[in-house]
Parts: sequence; structure tokens; C-alpha cells
Amino acid sequence: MKKFIYINILAALIVSSCTDNFDGAVDFTDVENPNLSEQSVVGQPNSSEIWLTGIEREVSLTLNEILILAELGSDNYVNTQTFYSQFLDNLDIRTTDPDIRDTQFRIARLREAALFGLETVGPADVNYNTETEAEYHFFEGLSYLFSGMYFSGLPQEELGPIISSDDNYLSAIESFNQAISLNAKPEYHLAKARANYYLGDKVNAVASANSALALSNDFIRFANFDAANGPTNTMESALYGRATFDDFQPLPTLDFLDPKYSFLSASEDAPVAYLKAEEAHLILAEADITDGNLSSAQMKMEDLLNLVSTREVRNIDDNIEQRSQIDPGSRPDSTNVVVNGRSGLVLYRLGDRIDVPSVSGTSLTQSEIGGIGNEDEALRLLYRTRQEIFISEGIRFVDMGVKLVVTENEILQNPNVSEGDPSTVPVIPSFISSIVGDLDKINYEPGSGTATTEIDLNEILVANKSSDAVLPFN
Amino acid sequence: MRSKFTWLLSLLMVIAFQFSYAQEKTITGTVTDQDGLPLPGASVRIKGTSTGTQTDFDGNYTINASTGEVLVFSFVGQKTEEKTVGAASVINIALEQDAQALEEVIVTGQGSGIQKKRLSTTVDVIDAEQIDRLPATQIDQILQSNAPSAQIRLSSGQPGTAAIIRTRGPISAASSSTPVVIVDGIRVDNLNSNPELGLDTGGASVSALADIPVESIEKIEYIKGGAATTLYGADAANGVIQIITKKGKEGKATVFYEGRVGVIKGTKDYLEYDRTAEALFDPGVSIEHRFGINGGSEKFTYNFGGSLYEDDSFNDVNEQVRRSFTFGFGAEVSDKLRYQGSFSYTGFENTLDFNANTSFSRFSNFEGGVFGDLNELSDAEWQAEIERSDAIAPLVDINRKINRFTASNKFTYDITGNLQANATLGVDYRESKDEEVDSNALQIALGSIPEGTTDQAFLSRVLRSSFTTTADLNFTHSYDMENFSFVSILGGQFFRSSDFQNRLDGSGGVDGTSSINNFSIRTASDFLLENANYGLYFLENIGIYNVAYLELGGRLDKNTSAGENTSAIFLPKIGVTYNISDHEFYRESGLYNAVSTLKLRANYGEATNFAQPFSQDKTFALESFLEQPAFRFDQPGNPDLVSELVKTYEFGVDLGFLYNRLNFGVTYYNATTEDALFTPGAPPSSGQLNQIQNIGEIENKGWEFELNAKILQGQNHNLSMGVSYNTNENLVTSTGGSAPFNVGGFTVIGSWVEEGESLGYLRGTIAELQDDGTYAFTPNASLGKTFAPYFGSLNLNYSYKNFSLFVTGDYQYGGSIVDLSFLLRVLRGVDSEGIPDELFGQTSPFNYTNFVTFDNDFFKIRNIGASYRFGDALKPFNDVILSFNVTNPFNWTAGDFDPEITGSGIGTQNGFSSGGFAYGTESAPRIFLTSLKFQF
Repeated sequence: MKKFIYINILAALIVSSCTDNFDGAVDFTDVENPNLSEQSVVGQPNSSEIWLTGIEREVSLTLNEILILAELGSDNYVNTQTFYSQFLDNLDIRTTDPDIRDTQFRIARLREAALFGLETVGPADVNYNTETEAEYHFFEGLSYLFSGMYFSGLPQEELGPIISSDDNYLSAIESFNQAISLNAKPEYHLAKARANYYLGDKVNAVASANSALALSNDFIRFANFDAANGPTNTMESALYGRATFDDFQPLPTLDFLDPKYSFLSASEDAPVAYLKAEEAHLILAEADITDGNLSSAQMKMEDLLNLVSTREVRNIDDNIEQRSQIDPGSRPDSTNVVVNGRSGLVLYRLGDRIDVPSVSGTSLTQSEIGGIGNEDEALRLLYRTRQEIFISEGIRFVDMGVKLVVTENEILQNPNVSEGDPSTVPVIPSFISSIVGDLDKINYEPGSGTATTEIDLNEILVANKSSDAVLPFN
Repeated sequence: MRSKFTWLLSLLMVIAFQFSYAQEKTITGTVTDQDGLPLPGASVRIKGTSTGTQTDFDGNYTINASTGEVLVFSFVGQKTEEKTVGAASVINIALEQDAQALEEVIVTGQGSGIQKKRLSTTVDVIDAEQIDRLPATQIDQILQSNAPSAQIRLSSGQPGTAAIIRTRGPISAASSSTPVVIVDGIRVDNLNSNPELGLDTGGASVSALADIPVESIEKIEYIKGGAATTLYGADAANGVIQIITKKGKEGKATVFYEGRVGVIKGTKDYLEYDRTAEALFDPGVSIEHRFGINGGSEKFTYNFGGSLYEDDSFNDVNEQVRRSFTFGFGAEVSDKLRYQGSFSYTGFENTLDFNANTSFSRFSNFEGGVFGDLNELSDAEWQAEIERSDAIAPLVDINRKINRFTASNKFTYDITGNLQANATLGVDYRESKDEEVDSNALQIALGSIPEGTTDQAFLSRVLRSSFTTTADLNFTHSYDMENFSFVSILGGQFFRSSDFQNRLDGSGGVDGTSSINNFSIRTASDFLLENANYGLYFLENIGIYNVAYLELGGRLDKNTSAGENTSAIFLPKIGVTYNISDHEFYRESGLYNAVSTLKLRANYGEATNFAQPFSQDKTFALESFLEQPAFRFDQPGNPDLVSELVKTYEFGVDLGFLYNRLNFGVTYYNATTEDALFTPGAPPSSGQLNQIQNIGEIENKGWEFELNAKILQGQNHNLSMGVSYNTNENLVTSTGGSAPFNVGGFTVIGSWVEEGESLGYLRGTIAELQDDGTYAFTPNASLGKTFAPYFGSLNLNYSYKNFSLFVTGDYQYGGSIVDLSFLLRVLRGVDSEGIPDELFGQTSPFNYTNFVTFDNDFFKIRNIGASYRFGDALKPFNDVILSFNVTNPFNWTAGDFDPEITGSGIGTQNGFSSGGFAYGTESAPRIFLTSLKFQF
């Protein structure tokens, strides 16, 4: 009898151990990925809004790539010690450069994110609205705009055919139009104005610039940076931070504008203003100059000055920056240094806190505007002002007419592009390539009180205004 | 001091006095085997003394002994015999063959151990004696120069840092080459890289191998991959390190205490500037107390080993404390059931300095030319730098704490006389806390924030817990027929591992706290890997006339890290062994006298590596972006993802000459990694992250030579040596049509995977002098392979009576390495040694990377140790051993830097480590160690 009971209990134990009730204890093969699947994103209420914030974040990441290359590639900054791009300072643009590859990747990722929002996330979200849809179109357009600005050709889809810079601008305009039709915002108009500007379409550029200013005369669209969770502002690290191998030094004529980005708080890095009302004024002024209407241009430039005077100026402690970090005092670092015959361009950083504009700053004065005598003078002043207003925002590089290339990874996998195709060959206007070595060159004897830049690139740009690569309204 | 010396001297005189009054006579004789063949080199000793001799080539011996004393005759592979000295002055003896002793048993991981002679694969075995004589505190230090066909490269001299371990070349681009580590049948955490969320201290990655206890190790078996690892399944393609701990021996308990004191000095051998050493190096002291008990009865045996260790390193920042103990026991539960258990605990605490890739690193700043040519600084300038450095050192606060427990249980049940069941169950748990506090004061001292800042302190804390469970059940059946013998194993195994990491980051803090609560901004992140692997395996080993063996086996393996479209993988193995010298006719022939061992072996086997868990899934991520939720694309996913498969065949010959006084082994291996896990760069136009795929193929082939010689076997003098030489030819035979991709290094000079090149080869732009005196630049040129294709080790052992001396060393040549510190000096314009004027300062150094790439050849003596065994001369102790040891005393390198150092090498979790960049961290220090061991 006892035996019978034992056997029964044992049998019951064994049988129950094989049922689901005991699974938790004996199933050793169950693993679960704690990460988000597509079902957790698509079809969930409010997912379109969260997706939109994600795209904003992508824009910041994209600018992190673009700005380093564009600022080094221009005459704005020189690379004194850094593991950022080793090549762009000398406009050495190669298909094997991983930084250029990453720039293309980021631009494409921005497009893919916008398209996924438009096609998948938005329609599946019960709370999807036109404002969000307009933003998705704007970001899709922004991806094409960046493609046009920085590359002579880039695909618009995975492994797709190469679309020329001009066609990318046209695609951008199309997207911006859709955004505007849903929910007009000044920056949508300005983005469209920029695309038209670089296309050389003066009429539409002016129209869009005016539309932008009509909605707001002091708007700014920022890309924001999260100091705690990332992405942090890479340019801020390059200009201001001293924790990694980096030290960007500005051209002495731009010293008073550096660093545009500096320590803000432990939670937020300095934002990048990538579309701001100043650009509309500059486009309008340039249109007037090239139309021969100097007095109207002068008024636009005064409007610009008025706007700039309202922009934030940050008072910062810049003791750690040095000119340069590796060789202090080797570059102009005192208020008494006169650069190219102009004074007041260089700040003394080792004493009290200094004032630096965080959105726009310029050395342009009323009297300079008043003294404009002819079109070229006006253009030189305008381009100097563009350089100042847009420092650390990646525009100068585009104004120089330089374009990056499609990189090796794309070339090897994309049947639509081969090494040697136009999109794989850097575009550097001849009047730029002949002075590449002088772009960042300065003549300065420490302590001498005077410094000169080897060249004045604004003069060179204006002298070559008839080139298709630069000054698009000429 | 003086009184101790006097005491020692009188003791020695007493012993000498006793010897001189013994009633001695000369005994002669011949020692033969059971067939009457003379045994040269057989040991003849007087029992209970250290007096002894060895037979000559004809088996003859002469020894002085007194009547009544007992002579002990022993020889490898023969049963030991004892004879009491009587009236006769000639004692001839024939030793019987000892089947047990001859057949060294290898624990192949599954089933019961198997006799070495039945195996077609080679296994490097390191025994307790070799382990105990080393002053090593880490398993990698033990393996280095002791495992003849392994390359162990210490990537940094900082405590607890990772060594790159590899044997038959790099087989995978998706994982480090670190073997699976098994302690008493239980898989343990072998993460040999920075964890996913690990601290970014610039380099010098930490390693879980550093805290595997090295006390109480009975032996280590290093199984090199191929057919030998087939039955381990899963991720065993890189080989297996099998650690077997002591479980105690029947007999009177022995107790030992050992005290070790060492001096640790940073080596200047590889420094560009002696001033770097002046600023940073600071000789330290290491102290270790070790204690052990070993004993047991017929039914129960036990072993305990414990150690307390502390050192303050060779520089002004590092310190480490290690507390560990292990115990093991064996019990005969019944006539049929045996139980073995082992448990170990390690507590490891250390502090790290910043390294390599951060400008916080003083070492890489000095050596990388941040402050210019240090030799050109004036004394005053240099003094200022020293003061600055001295101000930084006490503020550096990077510390780690690790607690690790490993437990193993093994049950053996004899079902019948020749059928045995083995069950193993165990766990490994390792918890680590890595913490970095960058105070305002530190950042001010480093010049990274302005003086007077008080609210920008950072805190980062990474908590990782790794838990692995292993279970194995198998049945071993042995059956002997007249001319055939069979060993059959059938079993099932599973292991499950989880790796859970949490990271806390605080910023905006004030100084004086390491609590996250006191930081104004706090963020958190986590990371989880979970994997379950299970398989069924079988092995049939057929003995033919006890001379030849045929091995057939396989494993059916399933893994949760595979994509949903995949099924279980079957891994076969087959092997043949022919011990020609075991033939009776051979032993009787004259050939035996010349070549005493002749063994041929060949095998084929498959093993796998699985991809990182969850890498098969398509995922999205939600980021916190300025306190708002933000979605993004994450991993594209790959439902077809499967383990990469390494197919290996090998052939080998083992030869023993002069009655096995000279042993020579040679093995040829050829391993092809199919479906190799590559993570090629996605086309940038996709905007998607790179996804791991089974698209590659890698080939590794080479030769392994090993020579062991007993050069002297005299009454007093014994000298033996071992040398190994290995070759490896590595080639990526296919990248599945994908573009070359970067697996390490930097943007323009990196380690790459490219078809037709060695895995992880160095690629950069090279400058070549043309006939017209100008330089031509070739981008994407090969700068050489990072894995030295020729390597080996050597050891030398000498003893004179109770004194013994050993030397170990290793070498490599044929590979390349970038001297990144030099590159930085060039970039900063402070060093142009060897660089043509046409290039230096004229173009970016990244255009002439061939001038900063050097041969990674080296020959290093790793250890020189000497010891004297007092025996029972110092009563009440049974034995007292005094030893001295120097670690890293000598080295010769091709370049002016240390080619082992990889300050920026193993950043990603379990990532591929090429070791192709020497940079920014201190080399393993020179250690002078004295130890005194008392046993009673």
C-alpha cells in the first residue's frame, strides 16, 4: 500500500513537472529581447509625435557630421590638433574618407526617418496631425537640401541612382512646398529660399525670403543637443571643450565670433541655428545688389544689423581655450592685435569673461554700409557678413562652391555609381584649389600687434562671381 | 637577520654531520623494463632523503647507501618499486609497465576523461607545478609562455586589463579570439573586453579573465579549436581553456603557508622619454599571503586554498587588492556514486588611470608629444609639468570592484562495471562595479574647465552582472574485446548566460561625493544579453589492437541567438590516431631504441561561434532627447542569422627519441570559417545601421612545432627545455561582395576586413619615393598583418639537488603595428625620426602611414625564477621553499615601443581585437618577487 502511494505521488510529481505550471523552473531556453520591436512603434497612439522628436534628434546628429567637415573645409577654422577629419582642412576630399561616408549616411538616415514617418508611423497613429505631417515633409526636404548643398550628387533612395545637386534642390523645394501647404512656417519658406538661392533662381529665392520674413522677422530654427543623453554638440567640443583631442582655431578676422557654442548646462549643449531670419535679409540684399539696386540692398543690410543687435550675446569664461592650446600665444590673442588693418576683431580671453554672439554676430557697421560705392564692394561686404553671420553653421563651405563625393561604401554596393563618375570626383573651383594651402594661413609675429590673413577669400569669391560655382545670383 | 642566518647555518651543519656518520656502501645495478630493455634516465633515490641518481644510457646506476635504507626506483610509465639495501651490493630491477601512468587522461569536457593516447587532437597541458612556481595573479599570465601554441599579448600594465589570447590565428571578425573558459566543467564569464556600457577611460580595457582564481589549480588544458572543440558546440571555435581544480588527495593532510613580497617597477624600455617615467612611475610593493590545506580519507578528500594580495603598482595611480579562496572536495557516497564539488570566490578591487584615447591621460600626453619634446623642456618647464602631473594623480578616481562566485557539482554513477553516468551542474556569477568620478578639481587640474568652476563634476558607474548556468548529463560506456576497445559517450549539454549592465551617469556635480544622488543631472542606461545554448552530442572512440584509434562524434547544436529562419546545426568530427610505437613488434625491434614514440594523428571537426545575442532581431530605440521621448531606427535585423562555422582538419606526428628524452610534435592545421559573421558597412544611402550577416569566409592554416628535451638527467644536475614554433597564414577569402569594412583603429589608418587580405590587416595611405625624387601616395594600401604569423615560446628548467631554476619566454615576428604615440608626435610636429624631409610637415602624416608602422617582432623573457627546497631540514616543517622570481626582465623588440600594448584595442564588447595599434598605456611592469613557502 505504502509503495502504491509513493509511486502515485512520484508519478504525479513527474507528470506535473512536464506541464506548463512548472515551465518557469525548467524551461532554460526562453530568452527575450528587451528592445523595442516595430509593433511597439507603429500603430501606437502618439507614436508620430515621438517619431518626430526622433527626427529632430537625427538633424542634430546630421549637423554634427556636416559642421566639422564644412568648417574645416572652409577658411573659417584650422585644425591644430584633432582626430576629427584629417583631410578636409586641406580640402583633400577622398572617396575613402569615413567622415564623408558618415555625412552621407546621416543625410540619408534623415530622409529615411522622415519617409518612415510619412508612410508608416503617421498613418498608423490615431493622433497624427497636419503639423506633424508638415514637419515630416520639411525634414525630407531638409535631407535633399543638405544633399544639394554638400554633394555634387547623392542617391535619394537606398542604392538608388545618383541625383545631381540641382535636382536635389528641386526635390527639396517640392517637399518644402508640401510642408508649407500643410502648415506654413517661416523656416519652411527660408529653406525653400535657400534651395532657390543656390539654384540661382533669384525670383523664387526672393519670394520665399519675403514669405519667411512676412511670417516672422526674427525666427530661428534650432537643432538642439542633449548634454546628458546625447547627441552632444560636436562643434562645441571642437571650439570650446578641452576634454578630447580637438582644438579648432578661427581665422583671426573671425576671432570675436568664436566660440559660438560654449558650455550651456549639464543637461543641454549649445544649439545650432540652422535656419534663421538673417539669411532671408542676406538673400534679399544680394538680390538687390545683383539687380544694381544698391540703396535697397543697403536698407536690407541695415535691417540685418538691427536683427543681429537683438540676438543673444553670451558672456562666458573662455580662459581654457588659448590661441592655440598646444602653442599658446602663437596666434593673435589680444585686443590690441590689428587684423588686415582692422581692429577690434580679436578678444583677450585670459582675463575677464568675454562676450560672444551665440546666434549671429558681425563686424559690419552702419558706416560701412553707408560707404558702399559699387556692386563688387557691396558683394565683398555681403560675403564677409555672410561668413561672420554663419560661422560654425556650415554655410561658408557651400558658398565656396566646394562639394563632397560619394564614398567607397556606396560605390562598391550601388550599381548606379562607379569610381570616376562625376559624383565621386570632388568639386573644387579652380580659384579655390589654387589657394587651398593659404585658406587658413596667417602671418603673425607673436606680440607684434598686427596680423594678416594670407588671402582674403571674400575678394577672391567676388572676383570670380561669374563662375557657376559661387555667388549664384551672378 | 644575523641570528636567523646563524640558526640556518647550524641546521645545515647538523644535517651534514648526520650524513657524514652514515654507514655507507656502494650499490650498483641495472634498471630495465618488464621486457628486459634497459631504462636510461630512471630515478634511483634513497627513501626519505633528497639523495638520488639516475641510470645511464644502458640503464646502469651507482649509488651510495647504507644497509637498511630503502631504494626507490621510478621511471615514467612504469610502476615504482622499492628495495631495501641488504648485504648485496648489486641490485638489478625490472620495472613493470604502469598502464595507468602511461595513459594520461585528458578531460575533454564531455563524458569521462579520455586517455591521451586515444586522442587525435593535441591539448596543451599546464600542471600544478608549472602554475605554482609563477608569481601570476591572472590566468592569462599563467598561459603566457607556458601554453606552447598560444599567443598571449598583455595589452596594458594596468591591473585587471585584458590580454589578447589567440592560437590558430583570427577565425572571426565578430568576436574576440578569447577561448571559452571552463572551470570544473562549468562555463565562466570570459568577457575579455570593455563591457558594452563600460567606462571610457581611453583604453586599457578590463577583463573578466583577470579574476578567475588561480589558487588550487590542478591543471589547465588548453584545447585549440577544430575537432577538439566540436563537442563543446556554441562558441568554442576559438578554443577552450579547461581549468581543473584540486579536490584533495587521500592521506595525511598537508598544510602550507606562503608569503610573497615583490617590488613592482615600471619599465622604461619602451618609453620615448625617460621624463615620462620620472613624472608617472613610482615603484610599488606587492604582498601576498597564500594558505592551503589538502588531504582526505578513502571516502572523502578535500582541498582549500586562499590568498590575500595587495599591490600599489608601478605608478602613482594604480592599486589592486585581491581576496580569493577556493575549496574542492570529493566524496564516495556509495560504491557506485561519487560526488565532486568545488567552489571559488574572488574579490578584486583596483584603480585605473586614464589611458590612450583621452586627453585626460597623462601617459599618452607625455608620450604623444602634447607638451612637445620632453627632452627639450628646460628644467623649470619640466618641473612645472611634473607639478601639474602630481596635482592630477591624486584626483584621478577610476575604480573597480568585482565579486565572483563559481560553483561546480559533479556526480559520477557507475551503472555497471563499464557504464558510467556523469552529471555536472554549476553556476558562475560575476558582478562588477566600475566607477569614475571626474571632480571639478580634476578637470581644473587637467585644464579642461576654467579655474573656479564648482558645478561640473561627473560621475559614471557601470554595474554588470554576468550569470552562467551549465548542466551536462552524459553516459560513458567502455567495452573491451580481445583486439578492439570501445569508448562510447552520449550526452546532452546546455548553458545559459545572461549579461546585464546598468550604467548611471551624473553630471553637474560638486566635489566630495561619489553618490549619484548628489549630481544635478542623472541619466541611466541598461544593456542585456541573454543566450541559451543546448545540444546533444555523441562520441565513439574505437581502439584497434590498442594501437590505433578511430574517433567519430558530433553535436547537434541549437542557439537562441540564431534568426527565426534557421534550424539546429549538426557539427561532425572524425579522427584517427595510430600509436605505431605501441606495437609489440616495434617495441621489440631496434627502432624503439632510436624512436621510442611514434604516433600519427589526423582529424576533421567543426565548431561554431554564435553572434551576439539579439543581433538577429529588427529593433527600434527610444532615446531621451532633451527630456522628450524620441524614436529612432535601431538594428535592421537578420532572420537568417546563424552561427559561423569553422571547419578544421589537422595532421600530426609525435616522436620520442632516446627513450623519450627528446620529444617532438608537429601538427598542420587548416581551418576555414564559413558563413563568417561580418558586419560590413551598410550602403550609406540606406540610412540604416550596419547589420551582422553570414557573408564571409576566412582561412587559417599553419604548422605547430613543439620540442621538449631532457638534456641532463644526472645524480645532481637536471636540465630540460621546451621550445615551440608556430606559423599562421590568415586570409579573408571572401567578404560576400561587401565593401571592405573597418574593425578597429582610426578613420584613416585602421584595421580592415577585405577580401584577399589578412583579417584585420592594417590599411592606410603610403608614401613611396619615386625615381624623380618625389613621393607618390597610394591610399588604402596594406601596411601588413596585425597578427604575427610566426610565434612561439620557450622554457628552460634546471635543478641541482634541491635548487631549481627556470626561465620562460616567448616571441613573435612577421606582423605589423602602428606606433600611434609616434604618429601623434609627428602630427604635433615634435618628432620626425626616420621621416623624409619631403614629407614631414609638408603633408598630413596620414598620407605616409608606412613611416609610422613597424614590425611587431619581439622576444621577451617573461619569468626567471629560482627556488631552494629545504625539505624537512627545517622542522617542524615538512618542506620549506624559498624562491625568487623576476617577471619581464628582458626584452628585444623591433621598434622602440612595446608591440604588445593596445591602449585603444578592445573597446567594444567581445569585439574583434587586432592589436594593431600600440598606444597610450604602460607596458606590463617588471616585478621582483621573493617567496617563502612552509609546508607541514
